[in-house]
Amino acid sequence: MSAQFLDIVTTAAIFYVVAAGLLIIFGVMKIINFAHGGFLTIGGYAALIVTQLGLDPWLALPFAALVGLVIGALVERFVVRPLYARPLDAILATWGLGIIIGQLITIGFGREVQFVQSPVQGAALVLGESYSQYRLLLVLGALLLAALLAAVLHGTRLGLMTRAVIMNESLARGLGINSGLVRFATFSLGSALASLAGALITPLSSVDPNMGVPWLVNAFMLVLVSGASLVSLGVATLVLGGAQVLISAYGSPILGSLTIVVLAAVILRIRPQGFARE
Amino acid sequence: MSEAAAGGAAVAARSGSTREIKRVLRLALVGLAAVAAAPYLLDTYTVNILIRSLLYACVALTVDILWGYTGILTFGQSAFFGIGAYACGLAFSHLDLTPTVAILAFLGGLAVAAAVAALVGWLAFGYGVSPIYVSVVTLVLPIVVTQILFSGGTFTGSSSGLSGFDTFDLSIEAWFWIAGSALVILTAAAWIFVHSDAGRLLVAIRENEQRCEYLGIDTALLKTLLLVAAAIITAAAGYAYAGFTDVIAPELAGFVFGTELVIWVALGGRGTLIGPVAGTIVIDLVSAYLSGSLPFVWKLVIGLAFVVVIVALPQGLVPVVGGAWRRLRRRPASANGDGLPILQAAPPRPRLVGADGGPAVALHGLSRRYGSLRVLEGIDLAAGAGELVSLVGPNGAGKTTLIRCIADGHERSGGRVLVQGTDIGRRAPQRCVGFGIGRKFQTANVFETLTVAECLRLARARRERPSPWRREASLALPQAALQVMAATGLDRQLGTAVKHLSHGMKQALELAMVLALEPSVLLLDEPTAGLTKAERSLIGGILSGLARDHGLCILLVEHDLDFVREISSRIVVLHQGRIVLDGTVAEVIGSALVRTIYAGEEHAIAGAAG
Repeated sequence: MSAQFLDIVTTAAIFYVVAAGLLIIFGVMKIINFAHGGFLTIGGYAALIVTQLGLDPWLALPFAALVGLVIGALVERFVVRPLYARPLDAILATWGLGIIIGQLITIGFGREVQFVQSPVQGAALVLGESYSQYRLLLVLGALLLAALLAAVLHGTRLGLMTRAVIMNESLARGLGINSGLVRFATFSLGSALASLAGALITPLSSVDPNMGVPWLVNAFMLVLVSGASLVSLGVATLVLGGAQVLISAYGSPILGSLTIVVLAAVILRIRPQGFARE
Repeated sequence: MSEAAAGGAAVAARSGSTREIKRVLRLALVGLAAVAAAPYLLDTYTVNILIRSLLYACVALTVDILWGYTGILTFGQSAFFGIGAYACGLAFSHLDLTPTVAILAFLGGLAVAAAVAALVGWLAFGYGVSPIYVSVVTLVLPIVVTQILFSGGTFTGSSSGLSGFDTFDLSIEAWFWIAGSALVILTAAAWIFVHSDAGRLLVAIRENEQRCEYLGIDTALLKTLLLVAAAIITAAAGYAYAGFTDVIAPELAGFVFGTELVIWVALGGRGTLIGPVAGTIVIDLVSAYLSGSLPFVWKLVIGLAFVVVIVALPQGLVPVVGGAWRRLRRRPASANGDGLPILQAAPPRPRLVGADGGPAVALHGLSRRYGSLRVLEGIDLAAGAGELVSLVGPNGAGKTTLIRCIADGHERSGGRVLVQGTDIGRRAPQRCVGFGIGRKFQTANVFETLTVAECLRLARARRERPSPWRREASLALPQAALQVMAATGLDRQLGTAVKHLSHGMKQALELAMVLALEPSVLLLDEPTAGLTKAERSLIGGILSGLARDHGLCILLVEHDLDFVREISSRIVVLHQGRIVLDGTVAEVIGSALVRTIYAGEEHAIAGAAG
């Protein structure tokens, strides 16, 4: 029972980390970044490089975030910026980017599945269960990430500008807020977060050039039911991630793998705003 | 224009439409001849690959109709392809191959695909569902279908699929002829359809679905029908694919194939039919040739090309090539004005009257709240045939909200709305149009990329079902719409694309479109904003004539009190969501209350009263 509780909490934390970058881009820019899966993959391979160089596995995290930040900034400038007025086309162009990233990685690193060294190994005794320390650490990581994002949004000037752009972009522009800069910063940060998430999840499984795609689909659905709110995302990951854990355990793993997409689709049909308040 | 000349022009217009159709049919014959000859000219390997490409191209055609023309971005056509393929593969693997089994499997596959598509349409096009939802559902669909196939064990062959089942004993040439002629026929049929009057409906839905609904067009039903038709064609292609290749695998139904179809369509040129067909065939053929030597690089090139096309050439590659070819041959692209229809007067039809002869529109205790904000409260209002009732009041009084509540049953929070004695209940706008409502919006709400004539044809779609294969040579409009067009000069702009019209002309066009519906209750939200003084008084005269001579009930929201005074038979004053005054023009204009409400506009009232 407590193992299941831990599964639910850690699964929700993983989904939160994976979806956060997609959510802030969607919240601010109203654009769905289908290259999100590609950025997750980039993060995974950044971690792989750190492993291959024999460096401290913790270094994988800042390295992945940095790579994501730089590539995200370039992508915003050359691909996403011309598509602000065409949100559906932005989905397609970023999907195309995902393909490019996947192929470049295939050419550079090969198609085979590879493994990354985990910064933390072994199990800890929690609630009478011996449980993976790394998964538990990810819960801390998710909480830290949420706190950090909230602090940036509510405690900094850029955060204030960002909230203004989220609420009413044209008014914000009229008040002299450089919404182009906000968009640029948001996309770069979202890509960095995606890449960081990729580095965080790889010790749990493995890396391959298409590792991002299944995550992308789940993250996309979670973001749609969360609207632009980091709090709703927390609720959505707990509810849908929890449902996935339970259905995988008591139903079948195949049903479990469909849980998030199907439940999210049903929720959106009944309540288009999903878990968001209004 | 004399009658004879008009008749001559009508014949010319019709023959223009027929001439184009004949040209397409001739091209299709050339295509069929090429299909017949190709297997003898190409090597077996190429023919083999081309069969697959031709079947994919049939599917790309459906993606183009859905996405390129109608604006429904679908990632899920692969699911229907998979359904068709598995109908074939499963039947032939588990049953003896007899003609009956083959036919039943074919029909069964199509039926399942059609049912799934209908379900998708019901989910995606319900009232209030967000426009992006259809893309979400069509993304989920292939994922679900793939997982179902995975979990089918030995029955579906799970992740490796099924192969080597008994299949049709057909030569490779025969398969090529089947796939090729199907593609040529489908392309020609699709071309004729999208260039017909009914085909314009697809573009109209993409451009402005709301306006379509307020023209009484059931867009949800139309889009669902399109999805179903596309699913049937796609499933048939999938069935042929399985029959030819003798292999089925879950990837056929997968999300990756679904997105590849979108990529091929985008690269070829969405909304061009021939672009997606050419794009699919070229890309799939080259992929097959390069899959041995440069598989990753080729996919990288496709990804790069896709991003570049989406960002820089959203219309795709074929229109670019085609444009260069036309410039080279110095032949201008055929203008939209080609084959303009001739305007005619539609025979007047008996106006809808309520069974009890009661008021044309009646509101009882109508209210509208947004959360705790009460925009309308306790509105009781009745207006009869022949009345022209002006709604006035300061900004934020709830005038536009009131109009909205009459035209859409979902809008109000409480109370009842009766049109010609019928309660509109919770009916959607397109059903309210059926009760006799016609609504003109505050800002011109028209179809920007269509021509004036096409907009008006769409407004008549409820009355005269548009032809699915040609452009009619004449366009019959009711007298009132013709008057508005003559007064504003719109009748000389029939071939002009709406986006090139001035703001005032767009207003006039929308008014003409609403009048073309032949409504019995006309809801007008500032119909003359942006028109010149002369045009305003012409339109004012037409409106009061419609009420007086034709028994229309008109509710008009207007700020210009001079205009209101000239044409109204009655004035209703709204203030803070309530009716504060309801009386004749003289009573209202002279009222002290109105002056207080219009504190800032006292002079206007005083001037109007004096």
